[in-house]
This record gives sequence, structure tokens and C-alpha cells, in this order.
Amino acid sequence: MVMTEDQVNASAELAAVLSVRHLTKVFGGLKAVNDVSFDAAPNQVTAMIGPNGAGKTTVFNLITNILSKDAGQVRFLGRDLARMPAVKIAGLGLIRTFQSARVFPGMTAIENVMVGGHRLSPRSGASQTLWLRGARHEERRILNRAEEMLELVGLAPFRNTHATELPMGAQKLLEVVRALMAQPKLLCLDEPAAGLNDTETQELANLLRAVRTLGVPVLLVEHNMSLVMNVADSVVVIDSGAIIATGTPTEIQNDSRVIEAYLGREGHAAS
Amino acid sequence: MLEFLQICIGGLVVGAIYAAIALGFSLVFRVTGAINLSQGGFAIIAAMIGYTLGVSFGWPLWVAIPAAVAATVAIGTMIGAFTFVPALGRLSNANVLMLTAGLLTAIEGAALIVWGSQPYAMPPFSGEEPLVFGAVRVPTQAFWVFGATALCIAALWFLIARTKLGKGLRACAENPTAAGLMGIDVAQMTLLSFALATLIAAIAGVIVAPTTSLQFDTGRLFTISGFVAAAIGGIASFPGAIIGGIFLGLATQLATAYISSLFSTAIALLILLAVLIWRPSGLVGGGAGKRQDTRDEVKAVGHAARLPPNLAWLFAAIALAAAALVPLVVTDNGILSGLVIALILFMTLMGLDVLMGYAGQVSLGQAGFMAIGGYTSGYLSTNYELSAVLSILAGIGVSLLCALVLSVVTLRLRGLYLALATLAFGLLVDSCAVGFLDITGGPSGLVGIPSFAVAGFEFATPRAMYYVVLALDAIIMVGLAGAMRSGFGRALKAIRSDQMAAAALGINTVRYKLAAFMISVTLASIAGSLYAFFFNFLSPEMVGTGRSLELVAMLIVGGESTLVGGLFGALLLTLLPTAFQPLAVYKTFASGALLVASFLYLPQGLYGAFVRMAVWLARQRGKAKKSATKTTARAL
Repeated sequence: MVMTEDQVNASAELAAVLSVRHLTKVFGGLKAVNDVSFDAAPNQVTAMIGPNGAGKTTVFNLITNILSKDAGQVRFLGRDLARMPAVKIAGLGLIRTFQSARVFPGMTAIENVMVGGHRLSPRSGASQTLWLRGARHEERRILNRAEEMLELVGLAPFRNTHATELPMGAQKLLEVVRALMAQPKLLCLDEPAAGLNDTETQELANLLRAVRTLGVPVLLVEHNMSLVMNVADSVVVIDSGAIIATGTPTEIQNDSRVIEAYLGREGHAAS
Repeated sequence: MLEFLQICIGGLVVGAIYAAIALGFSLVFRVTGAINLSQGGFAIIAAMIGYTLGVSFGWPLWVAIPAAVAATVAIGTMIGAFTFVPALGRLSNANVLMLTAGLLTAIEGAALIVWGSQPYAMPPFSGEEPLVFGAVRVPTQAFWVFGATALCIAALWFLIARTKLGKGLRACAENPTAAGLMGIDVAQMTLLSFALATLIAAIAGVIVAPTTSLQFDTGRLFTISGFVAAAIGGIASFPGAIIGGIFLGLATQLATAYISSLFSTAIALLILLAVLIWRPSGLVGGGAGKRQDTRDEVKAVGHAARLPPNLAWLFAAIALAAAALVPLVVTDNGILSGLVIALILFMTLMGLDVLMGYAGQVSLGQAGFMAIGGYTSGYLSTNYELSAVLSILAGIGVSLLCALVLSVVTLRLRGLYLALATLAFGLLVDSCAVGFLDITGGPSGLVGIPSFAVAGFEFATPRAMYYVVLALDAIIMVGLAGAMRSGFGRALKAIRSDQMAAAALGINTVRYKLAAFMISVTLASIAGSLYAFFFNFLSPEMVGTGRSLELVAMLIVGGESTLVGGLFGALLLTLLPTAFQPLAVYKTFASGALLVASFLYLPQGLYGAFVRMAVWLARQRGKAKKSATKTTARAL
């Protein structure tokens, strides 16, 4: 039996955690994002790469409705995200981080991570006000989990340090585990390696592999090629707002268009 | 028609002054991104110095007036250099705004000390005889006002648009970091903008002085009107400031003439709230949208002082025990009354701390809810003999209703617009408290309110009331501490520092902000009712905007986002004037100056200092113990 394109799409969507179809955004006369479609599969790290200004972060902001899209559709776990506010999207389990590490100033490292536990803590403010047993237990549980999270990235010794006083790399890791704390059904990371040195990038790669082992799918927008080639299961390459290739890291590395558009340029710059 | 023209001329005179002050707001805002509320204070200082020199010392006006302006600018520049400029680098813009509110209070307090509370009347510059055009009479001072305002506008425009200095100012307005990299001394430009705003305010002050009666706190009126005018027109726009000022002047004068003088401010404030709903950037203002996925305000949120939990419980127990014993030791009813007031205010402060300290929502109108609660329960218990508890509940109901309506405006706003909206709300309540004579008793207050009573038992003495309020405070404190140490408090703190990142983690920012607001309103309302029951009397200035600003001062001086900090501030600012009656005249000055000093030098407040001391002492004891065990170990 031959399936129509729609049916193919439908079955792909069922399998995919996130499916993006025909996403388009125009800034003035410039098509910043032009007819972008891709899927993020369960238990996989999907990476989106591309040269500076290719429109990666714009795609990201369109997915999470920080920017409004001009055309296209984003479905997360089968639900259309159109016009859904950020808090609802997060409520569904799509948790994102930001390009510039946005830890909460005025809070310690452990408190920052504990904020991530908010999504899955059903106890009301009223029960906390009355110091009810359930609320206190929940608090303990969140604290323990947050401590495990800090342990995971080696930040446990800094649990009571104010988050903004940590070095940039630590802040970025903190932001990732804060998002993990929310038990995402899809973890979206916006250039997590930007501003990190090689050691810190290595720590990040380890963390991402650990995340995948936990069964959390990841959508990774990244500039750092070695990180992507290291951890990604499938790669989407964007240039000038449009997808030019998709495939496994090995396929991408051997794709002539990618080499021409992206790796070629980078190789040129390196030599 | 003639009457209408006459009123319009009056409106234009007032409007020109508002426009001048609004211009100052706009200038400082454009260069620094912060709001400088102290301007009205400088206007009144200039007018007062002008009066002293010109009338008391008998100097000719053409010497006295420029001398007054020069002296004010000198004082203003000094104050700006030591407070405003350093504050900009360290504090968020909302906190800078509150710091300048403290400056305004301190200036008012200084004026009270120097010139007392009596009103002064300055003679017009060119005689009392008005000029007559046909049948329209124009007082000569009007020409001085128009001339001076026009001159200020022209000079400012020339400076900004045509000089190198102006280019520097504009560069700082666009991007201070880049301006600094280009070799522009940003601190100097900031100070320059502050000095220029002071100059404009001083000129406005001396020019308008003959048309109004001067009092130490008239400056507040100038500040508020100028701020409202700037906001109506668009705070980032010079033409907006001018249009807003004239619009506001005309609207208030027409309202006074044709509706009622009691509600003229109310109408101005309703216009402002309407503008804030439909065009938050003002009638003229625009401005590009900001990028949302990067943080716009990098100035760090301060770290609140925390006691380790075991020490916290220990100190709480000691403090509560000591507080319970106080009335057995203190027999002086004056001091005991002071303590009751401090505890009542502390109740409001705990709510304000949840709203401001934790959720980061500025409120300059908190006393407005004390007023609503106080008047509602006072009115019901006086006229309908409703029991105290029921009337307090009714007060809460009315307050929450008003808060819901207000939150339609405030939930969309942040930072200075939020400050503006809450300030406007407080002022609106003020003018209603004065205006609704039948319910509130007007300016002379609501009298004959019964004492607080439960089931026939009357808490009429300060001592009885002390225990009631202490018990309520303790219960509220424990409850709020439970919520603030858990998920609720964390969600609020996350919202305070980064709304967008908070939302991305699934925190419903609207719901939490609303909850924090409702908690603060409920507590303010209860406190207002208790206040009325305690005094058996309530007048507008007891729960007016002055009180709102004082509450902010108490919170900051005591220490934000600590819950208990407010108690330190309330005790300090309530008991000092009670204990040392002759110093009462210094109270206004002290509360303003303490607020400014706390922002600059004690960012964690008195409570922060206390925590540092307690932790240090505990550590010393720990060390002593350790070294003691060491020596015993060695001895063995």
C-alpha cells in the first residue's frame, strides 16, 4: 500500500516527540526561517547546526512561541503548540534553556535547581503555609533530588554559592540540570556550549550522554561542531533559514552540500 | 465661555509647570533609564530659599531668585553625586526609583526642620495687578511661567540636539556601555542629567511659587504631577512630557471648576491608569520592542540575609518570649502604643515583603489598602454596629475587590510603570478618603470607631491590643515563613529575578504575582482595620501616600525578602520618634535619609547586619568549643 505524504507525516509525528512542519518567519523582507520541517525522535539527541545567523535560535524561539511564526506548525507529543503561552508549553514537558545562561540571581545554586522541581510539585502554597506534613515531605524530596542533580555535574561543593558568582561554565551546567530537574519530556538547549572552554564542553558532552541514558530526548541548537558530532544521534543542518541536510553525524560530515556550505567555510577559516 | 477661557489660562499655567518637571523626568530617564522622584523636592527647596532671601532677608527679587536657583542646583548636584550616581551602578532601576523617593522624603524632612510646617506666600515678580485682555484677566506671573518654561524647553532642546555634550547625553541614553567604551564619562553624564533636571525643577519651583502656597511637603505634589504628566505623554519623549504636562494641567483645572475640587486629582489619576492600560508607553512615546530571550536587566538582585535554620528557630523563640514579657516591664502607655503601631505596621510589612522583597513587585501604594480596610471596617462598625471581626473581613473583601481591579493594570506592568500605577492607586485612595465626606469624614477623619472586641471582650488598652497584634503577627509570620521557604517562595524569587526563565520552567508568573499581591493586600487591609480600632479614629494622612513611602523605607531599612526585616524597620522608625518626642520633627528626614543610606551602604538592611553578627558569634563559640576539645585531647 502506498501512503500519501500526509499519512507519512502523520505516522512520523506519532513516533516523534516534536515535529516541526513548514516553519516560516519573515523579518522585514528577510526570510529568517524558510519552510523548515524536522522531527525530534524519542530517546535521541537531535542537533540543529548551522553557521552564524543561519536562523537556529529563531527556529528555537518559534518552537517555544517566544517569537510568533508567520506560517507552519509545531506539534509536541501530538499537541499543536500554536498560540500556547510559554508556561503552558513548559507544563507539557517541553523545557528549554537560554543562550545566555539565565540562572536566577539572588538565589544559591541549590535553590536554582530546586526551582526546576516546581513543575512536578503538586502541593499548594496553602499547605506550605500551614507546614503540612505533605508539603514538608515534598520539600525534602525536591531538596534531595536537587542535590543529586548538583552531584551529577560536580557542583555539589558549590551548593550554597550564589549562582551568579559561579563561573560561566558552571552557570550553564546549572541551567541544564535545573531544566532536567523539571523532568522534561523534551529538553531543548539553546547553544549550551557557547562561552565554555574545552574542559567545560567535555563536561557538557558527558552530561548530555547521561541525559540520553536517562531516556530524556534532547533538541540541541549548537555551534560547536565537535560537541554535536560527539553526542548527536541525528543532525539537522540549517543555512540561510532553510534546511540543507539531515542525517546522522557521519552522513552529515560526508554530505557535499554541508561541507560546502558549512564545514568548507569553517575549514577555510581554520586553515 | 469667558469663565472657560479663564480656567484654561489657569490650566495652562499649572500645565506649564507640570511640563517643566516632566521634562526633568524625561531627561533623567532617557540618560539613565531610571526615574528621579526627588525633583519636586528641589522645586520646593528653591522656592523656600527664594522666599527666605527675597522676603525674610529683603534681597531684591532679581538677586534672590537666581541665587535660590543656583544654591538649589549646587545642593542637588552634591546630593546626586553622592546618592543617585553611585546607586545607578548597583541597584535595579526600580530600586533607584525608591531611593529617589527616599531622597524626596529626606528633602521634605529637611524643609520641615528648616522652615517648619507653616505655609508661605511668595509675592508675584511683577506686582499683583493682572493684565486685562478684553474681559479675560491674566495674572502677570503667568507670563513668567510661560516664558521660563519655553526658555527651559528651548535651551534643553539646543543642548541635546546641537551640542557635543548633548550628543554624549544621547549616547548614554542609547547604550551606556558602548558610550563608556567610546570614551564618554557615563557617570559624569548621569550627574549632568541629574543637575539639569534639578535646575529645571528649581526654576519651575521659584517661578510657580507666587501662584500657590508653599509648604514643606508641596514638593511631593510637584513630583507626582510631573511624574503623572511624563507618564501620560510618554516618559521617554520630550514632546510627550510637554503635551502630558499641559494636558494634565488643563484636565485638573477644568475638573476642579466643573466637577469638584475634591476629585480633581482623582480624575488625573484615572486618566493615568487608563493610559497605562491602553498605551503603557504614553500618548506620544513609542520605542522599539526589546529582545526577549536575553536578560535586559543585568544588575544583580541582592542576596538576602539568612539565618541557619537552627539559629532562626532559637532567635524566633527568644524574640517571641521577650516580646510577650515587654508589657510587664514597659508601663509607659506612650511607648506601649508605639509598640502596638510598630506591630500593626509590621503586619503590612510582611505582606509588602512577599510582594516586593520576594516577588519583586514594587508597590508605592500599599497604605491605600490599609485605608480601604480601615475605613470599611470603621464605617461598618460605627454606623451598623457590625462586630469587629466581621467588619475586618468585610474590609478584606472590599480591599481584594479593589486589588483585583487594580491588578488588571498592574499585572501587565513592571518596574517603574508598576511603581507609577501603584503610586497612582494610593493617591486615588487618598483623594477618595478626603472626598467621600459621608463615609470617611473627609480630611478631619472618621471618629468614634469602637475598640477591637471579640465576643463581648473589649481590647481597649494598649496592653490588650499589644497581645492581640503580637499573636496575629506571630501566626502570620510562621505561615508565611512556611510558604517562603518552600516552592511558593522559590517561585516568587524566580519571578523576581527572571520572569521569562521562570515561565520556561512552568511557573505560572501571572498566578503567582497575583497571589503575592492578594496576600499583601489582605495583610494591609487587616492592619488598616486594627489601626482604626486601636486609635478609635482614622484620618486620610494616617494611611496616605506618606505612609506608603514610609512603609517602603521601613522594609528597605529593615531588610528585604527576609519577612522579619520589616520588624526592625518598623520598630526603629516608630519608636525613635515616640521615645524622643523633641526629635519628632526629624522623623521625616530620618526615614528618608535612612532609606537612602540603607540602599547604598546596608543592602541587606538592619536584619542583614544582625544575621552577620549572629553567625559570627555562633562561629566564635564553635571555634572556642573546638579549641577547648583540642586542648583536652592534647592534655590526655
